[in-house]
Amino acid sequence: MTILRARGVVKSYGPTPALRGVTIDVAEGEILAVTGPSGCGKSTLLHCLAGILRPDAGEVTYGEHRLDTWPERMRARLRRTEFGVLFQFGQLVAELTAAENVALPLLLAGTGRREARTAAVAWLDRLGVAELADTRPGEMSGGQQQRCAVARALVTEPRVLFADEPTGALDSRTSEQLLGELTRVVRRQRTTVVLVTHDVQVAAYADREVALRDGEVDPTGLGLTAITGKHTR
Amino acid sequence: MKLTTLLRLALAGSRTDGIRVVLTAFSALLATVAILAALTVLAIPEIGDSVNNRYVNPLLDEHGLRGGTALTLVLLCIPILALAGQCARLGAPARDRRLAGFRLAGATPGQATLVAVAETGVAALLGVAAGLGAYFAARPLLDRPDAAGLRPLPTDVLPEPWQIAVVAVALPLVAALTAAVMLRRVVVGPLGVVRRARRTRPPLPWPGALIVLGLISFAAVIPVLRWYDARAQQPPFALVTTMGVGGALAATAGVILGTGWISYAMGGLLNRLSHRPAALLAARRLTSDPWQGARTFAALLACVIVGAGAAEMRGYFRIMRDLDVLAARRGGYEPQRDSFYLNSMDLVDIAIVVAVVIAAAGLVVAVGEGIVSRRRAYAALVASGVPRAVLARSILLQALVPILPSVVLALLVGMRLVGPLTGDEVANYGESAPFVHAWDTLAAYGALAVGAVLATVGVGLLLLRGSTAVEELRTG
Amino acid sequence: MSTAHVLLGLLAGGRLHGYELKRSHDQRLPLAKPVAFGQVYATLGRLQRDGLVTTAGQDQEGGPERTSFAITEAGRTRLDEWLAAVEPPAPHVTSTLFAKVAVAVLVDGAERARDYLVAQRAAHMARLRELTAVKTDPASTLGDVVAADFAILHLDADLRWVTNTLERVADLHREVHP
Repeated sequence: MTILRARGVVKSYGPTPALRGVTIDVAEGEILAVTGPSGCGKSTLLHCLAGILRPDAGEVTYGEHRLDTWPERMRARLRRTEFGVLFQFGQLVAELTAAENVALPLLLAGTGRREARTAAVAWLDRLGVAELADTRPGEMSGGQQQRCAVARALVTEPRVLFADEPTGALDSRTSEQLLGELTRVVRRQRTTVVLVTHDVQVAAYADREVALRDGEVDPTGLGLTAITGKHTR
Repeated sequence: MKLTTLLRLALAGSRTDGIRVVLTAFSALLATVAILAALTVLAIPEIGDSVNNRYVNPLLDEHGLRGGTALTLVLLCIPILALAGQCARLGAPARDRRLAGFRLAGATPGQATLVAVAETGVAALLGVAAGLGAYFAARPLLDRPDAAGLRPLPTDVLPEPWQIAVVAVALPLVAALTAAVMLRRVVVGPLGVVRRARRTRPPLPWPGALIVLGLISFAAVIPVLRWYDARAQQPPFALVTTMGVGGALAATAGVILGTGWISYAMGGLLNRLSHRPAALLAARRLTSDPWQGARTFAALLACVIVGAGAAEMRGYFRIMRDLDVLAARRGGYEPQRDSFYLNSMDLVDIAIVVAVVIAAAGLVVAVGEGIVSRRRAYAALVASGVPRAVLARSILLQALVPILPSVVLALLVGMRLVGPLTGDEVANYGESAPFVHAWDTLAAYGALAVGAVLATVGVGLLLLRGSTAVEELRTG
Repeated sequence: MSTAHVLLGLLAGGRLHGYELKRSHDQRLPLAKPVAFGQVYATLGRLQRDGLVTTAGQDQEGGPERTSFAITEAGRTRLDEWLAAVEPPAPHVTSTLFAKVAVAVLVDGAERARDYLVAQRAAHMARLRELTAVKTDPASTLGDVVAADFAILHLDADLRWVTNTLERVADLHREVHP
């Protein structure tokens, strides 16, 4: 069953077109990798699917809802409750402890302090960093920070997790650990994952791959517009 | 390093750096004008007995009052310096990265610091030059003797040339030295300045002791004067000034440093009382960097202290005038129409408002800088669904929660400083009345300070929308 | 090794003498080990026996190096099959990949090479996913994981080369067909 759908999504940053009409379907429960060289529009596609950005043209559908027509307020609520978001770095608030960072989405939803903290610590435990609950991000390593970020993205038990190069700043061993934990947890929760990466080894953790090039889907998966000069479909 | 290379490196920068240079130059301009004005007042020669009869305003005309006027003008430099200090922090992360780039290219740490100092020095030099230009251009323009030949401003007097030269040379040097001192803890390595979250010790309330000491020192001036008076001796000028000015400065420093403790304590209180996320964010930010409030609000609080003192003095003069009217009615003569003292208090008020405006400018810079430097974290929060309203509320709380108690403290300190001067009873021409605190003016100053903070936070929040745009999240 | 197929590919462009075949092989595949004369002639012998090449030309007395060889229809068919087939992804297939692409470009130009590379990449990706699953499986032993790592790294390298080559092939095509 398709949980997320994009149809002919177009998005430009000023005069630069980032997406030129992308159509993809994301099935529920799958881990989908979006790959391609830098500048091909992968992150922009992710932002459009997650409702962080509104496309200039085209449709983005989540379940039955048309995200591209929703106001920011409603999209923000969706991002708090049903979506989880994970970036390469810079997403934890430096002044809050790990547990407070993870509990933040719950607090925003109105959950009580104690309850939120319990849930936060449980998630940190699932990711193997329970002992860091009262440490600040600046006192942790990159890998540990990313695990806390994963915990924060998953604490609301979202239906879809959007990850943009989550291991980009980590070394290969730490990446492997993080991806291993992440896939284990999301498969158990049956969370759908859209994973943007330029690294083929990271893409191999997914069930399926969609390649982008120059703002369009590349069906050959090789990042190549047709040799004949016409666009292959 | 050749001078031209130094200049080229110092002035290489983005738009933020340009803004920093402009603001530094502007502060230098204001400081130059203020100091030159003070010097001009001091240069007015003493003609005649106690009055020159050359100027409209007795503040300039009477020999005894000129010192005070000059001092006030010099004191205006304090908020100007605070503004300059805030400006120096503008865009600091980008500048640090640039300096690190120089180091990577082979500059020594001393050379990297020199480049940063040179930028401040050049900006200050430009400002001083502009200030000199403004001063000399304004002199003939403002030279308007009225019908009686009295001038509103001392435009017929010029400070000694050597004094002007000293200002022109010393101000940029002082600016550069200050920049060097502020950078002494920043060791610019080739990899840049890495931010590690240090757990700072919570600030202790020892500034309270500083306040008390300052108040005592200031209050002791009058008994000391009386002591000397009783022995018909002239009190040593140095001693009296040190006690007076030193006491006032100590008390002010105590209030400013006390803001650190207040921020920390209020942060803890907020954390315990409110469970909303906006409050949590604000509380944590306050406890993890309590000195930020002290740095940001220093100039404003100094203005509030002075304002409170001025308010009390104004109340004192008002009562004096009322007594004067009473005495006149009793004695059957006309009371003095215009109270000189009350009029000069108007001027003092104007000076204070100007200082508050300058301090507020420094606030805008600080608040804006705080938001812009956190933009990646804010953008990530917005992307994960935190409403911008929650972020805005947290920024507002972070500013308001420490400022309210600090302003109250500053008002109280200002009142206590002036207390010994006003006494409990006011006596004039045989009439006496109890001294009443000028609550209305005090409240007005308090409201002005808090209003300035609210306004600057409001302006800073305008930056929030731009800072949380998704472009901040782009990694590639 | 697929020396046999490479020789077939070289002959697809026209008949060549035995000596020229050896030289052409080393020239086209400079990274492979230079093939020994003996191996060339032995392979030619097998190909001839299987009916995939024939001898042609007058100079039959002088030995294999002076004989000229030509590809047969059967040979062409076999070559086509080889070019269309995907190599099962494994660490040791790198040289075969390279040989195949070199020959494909030679024989049929960029279009053929591209089609092959597209298919090969899909196979590589599927294998990569399998190996990654082995790595994350809690039941895998250390030996399993180490072997999986080895294979993954080699396949990753292959894939990078595949992507690169496609860029170059596309450039070549644009060059030839502006």
